Amino acid sequence: MDFLIKTLGAIATIIVAFIVGMLYMGINRKITARVQNRVGPPVWQNYIDALKLVSKKTSVHHGVMQHLAPAFLMISSMGTLLFIPILRGQSWFPNLSYHGDLIFILYFMVLGSLGMALGAGQTGNPNAAIGITRGLSQMVGFEIPWVMALVAMMIQYHTTSISDLMAIQQQHGWLMFQNPLAFLAAILAMLGMFRYSPFDIVGAPAELASGPISEFGGKYLGLMMSSGSIFAFTKLTLYVDLFMGGASNIVVLLIETFTLYLIPMLYGLVSPRYRTEQAIRYFWGWPTVLGLAALVYSVVI
Amino acid sequence: MNIIHITLGILLGGAILTYFANKISGVVRDLMFISTIVVAAALFFIKMTPDTVAVFNLGGITLSLGMNHLGLLFSIIILGLAVLAGFYSLPYMKGKDNLGFFYMNYLLSIFGMMGIVMSKDLVSFFIFWEIMTWSSYLIVVYNGNKANKIGIKYILFSALGAYSMLMAIVMVYSQLHSFSIADLSAGFTTMPASYQITIALLLITGFAVKAAMMPLHVWAPDAYSNAPMSYTAMFSGALSKMGVYGLVIVFVTMVSHLPQNFWVRETIAWLGAITAGMATIYAIFQDDAKKLLAYSSVAQLGYIITGVAIGTEISMIAALMLSIVHGMFKANFFMVVGAVERQAGTTDLTVLTGLIRKMPWTFFSALMSAIALAGIPPLVGYVGKWMLYESLISNGNYILVIVIFFASTAGFLYVFKILYSIFLGQEEPEFENVKEAPALMVIPMVIIALLLGFFGAFPGYLLKYIDNALVVMGYPVSQGKWWEMTTLFNAWGNKVSTDLIMYTTITVFVTIAIVLFYRWKNGRYVSTKDISLSGEMPKEDENYSFKLDFYKPFERAISPLLRYKISKYYNEFADGMEAFFDWTRRIYNGNAQTYAIYVITFLVILLLIANNIFTV
Repeated sequence: MDFLIKTLGAIATIIVAFIVGMLYMGINRKITARVQNRVGPPVWQNYIDALKLVSKKTSVHHGVMQHLAPAFLMISSMGTLLFIPILRGQSWFPNLSYHGDLIFILYFMVLGSLGMALGAGQTGNPNAAIGITRGLSQMVGFEIPWVMALVAMMIQYHTTSISDLMAIQQQHGWLMFQNPLAFLAAILAMLGMFRYSPFDIVGAPAELASGPISEFGGKYLGLMMSSGSIFAFTKLTLYVDLFMGGASNIVVLLIETFTLYLIPMLYGLVSPRYRTEQAIRYFWGWPTVLGLAALVYSVVI
Repeated sequence: MNIIHITLGILLGGAILTYFANKISGVVRDLMFISTIVVAAALFFIKMTPDTVAVFNLGGITLSLGMNHLGLLFSIIILGLAVLAGFYSLPYMKGKDNLGFFYMNYLLSIFGMMGIVMSKDLVSFFIFWEIMTWSSYLIVVYNGNKANKIGIKYILFSALGAYSMLMAIVMVYSQLHSFSIADLSAGFTTMPASYQITIALLLITGFAVKAAMMPLHVWAPDAYSNAPMSYTAMFSGALSKMGVYGLVIVFVTMVSHLPQNFWVRETIAWLGAITAGMATIYAIFQDDAKKLLAYSSVAQLGYIITGVAIGTEISMIAALMLSIVHGMFKANFFMVVGAVERQAGTTDLTVLTGLIRKMPWTFFSALMSAIALAGIPPLVGYVGKWMLYESLISNGNYILVIVIFFASTAGFLYVFKILYSIFLGQEEPEFENVKEAPALMVIPMVIIALLLGFFGAFPGYLLKYIDNALVVMGYPVSQGKWWEMTTLFNAWGNKVSTDLIMYTTITVFVTIAIVLFYRWKNGRYVSTKDISLSGEMPKEDENYSFKLDFYKPFERAISPLLRYKISKYYNEFADGMEAFFDWTRRIYNGNAQTYAIYVITFLVILLLIANNIFTV
């Protein structure tokens, strides 16, 4: 019985993440269109797209790694989602959030990218491989300030568990005010994590023709879209848990995640694309300085 | 006569017999070789109990050997890998010259390593250490090409390590009048402070050479990549761990008693972290699979050295865990590259392409090793890394953790590079007839790959042995405090459940895979040339795989760092010495008349001085 409830909870979590993530993508398309003085597709367009793509039959494939790439990608998005607390108080969707800590999650988030990278590599499309080398290089860039921010919080409160950090914020107030430098570093790292402009060097529509996903159509693309939106929600929830003390109910969670989501989105709307080395150096500039300052701050305090 | 005599006897006797069996026939030699390893390993694991001791008398010198849990842990790495790499070796080395010599040295180096982990006194430790060094040197130069220079580099650094070790041993004897390691750890505190620090540093130098710690790592990339892959699996997997074994003993029994304890620890830990960072960056830019893995080995040993140097309970567990796991995945990776070399004829990453459909099992083991190497859950690679991070964070080494994290994240780059370049990308007509490697090569690789998954869910099976080893070294029991069979804890009581992670991963993966495989039969395979490339279709003889300058943008981003290459300084030093010796050749120019002048001049000077001395 217990197992059944937990399984149902996990499925419910994933469905919520899918719906919310897709909605945010739709709003993103709408806002982007309005900024560019277009009408834009309706907000529910992404649901229609995903449904259409997933219901398609697979007619061609390039081999087993390419075939399984979406499955690897889903491990990161769904798996990570199950290991972070969605709501505070743990009455809703506790899932597995007591069974993994921050450092584990940092690494677990990478498995999908690796599987996806190998899948894209097997298609033999040179653009895919170029996109992946760019993506991995950029990851090395933004992980440095991101890890610095996380380590700063870990040493400030002597815990590596997300639930503990949320509980601590109940007493001391939001971490974005307790350690503002760490928050800033993490937010700047988030720009790279979401891969919107100016860090959209992986897909780079102009020169790489959407990069890694260029050989994936139909069911593959549908699953990748779903995975992408689940992962977006996962990352936003993680940020809310870490810096805004988690949400007590789903409405607050939506407001907080959407506010955070606006940052990379709006920043991207007004920025042209960086070259890869510029992107890496961007993250190793001010974000890393802020991260170092956050470390010093949390040691001193 | 007990199991220690028997194991060492079998290995030594087997080495000699294998050499002479080569004169009879190749089959006898192969049988002799593999049965030596298998019988020695089987007897060892069945019969060996910790606290067995043995004494050898060698013409007046008494060598005392014994086994404890720390030695047992390392013997598992050595003999386990020896069996797997031994079977792999048979088809891999088939048809090469001078195999009797190769297999003899192979067995001798295993003999040396087993001797090291069983030594109870410094003399036997040193003797076995030299046997190991020389046999591995002879295998490094076995391949012949450019081997001379590489071999000289290896033996030069090994000699440096051996001399510092020898010096430390002499100093120990001068103080304690005993060679016993137990006496040394007991009497270390009674020595004068200057002796303590000198002995510790000399021993660290000696072991750091084998563990390839910066700045003593220069020999490693060449030596690893130049030896035959079936031996490099042992070389990088087990032999380098002898350095770790020595460092563990030095740090626990000596460094912890030093007054300068903190600084030694921090220095070595930082050197380890810098080794990891720099070697990772160099691995990223290698275009040869062997070289890439060799640099990666240096980097991975950097983490281990950092863990040992920090020396808290959890960092020790992390270091030993990483040692075992590195032994597994790196041996496996070298075997993969060996298989590719044998089947496709090259290890050049810019030439190889699209082998995944030709060598699926090799790809599977490479993939598993890659995930473990990158430290990604759910495979066992992340257990050690997780513990290392936790130990550094809770111990207050905040900047160190960032450096290690950088090295580890940058590690994904070369992991992807080697997998992509060998197995993925567009297929090439040149490799159309490549077949999967023989079963004897594939089975050891797949066994290791599956073990990496199994221990990922149940790391307790490995941690149990590590716990026993650390208890021998004087650490408290760690089970229940730092780990359970399927759970890991950190200093603040946060935990990671390895089995749940594994089950979650498998559930999600299988669910999505079912969705994907639903009506899979309707799909057909299309070649990697049939892709959307702006309407362009590559011709049969064209290959659009992305191979050259793989990480050019990354290289541009970190170009300031690349200026520092330690081997440059060594080369400058070598050039300087060469110039100096050239200059001395002007004095010793081989001309008898010049020498006559020297003799006369010398006599004149002597006379003048003598006059001065005696007349005044």
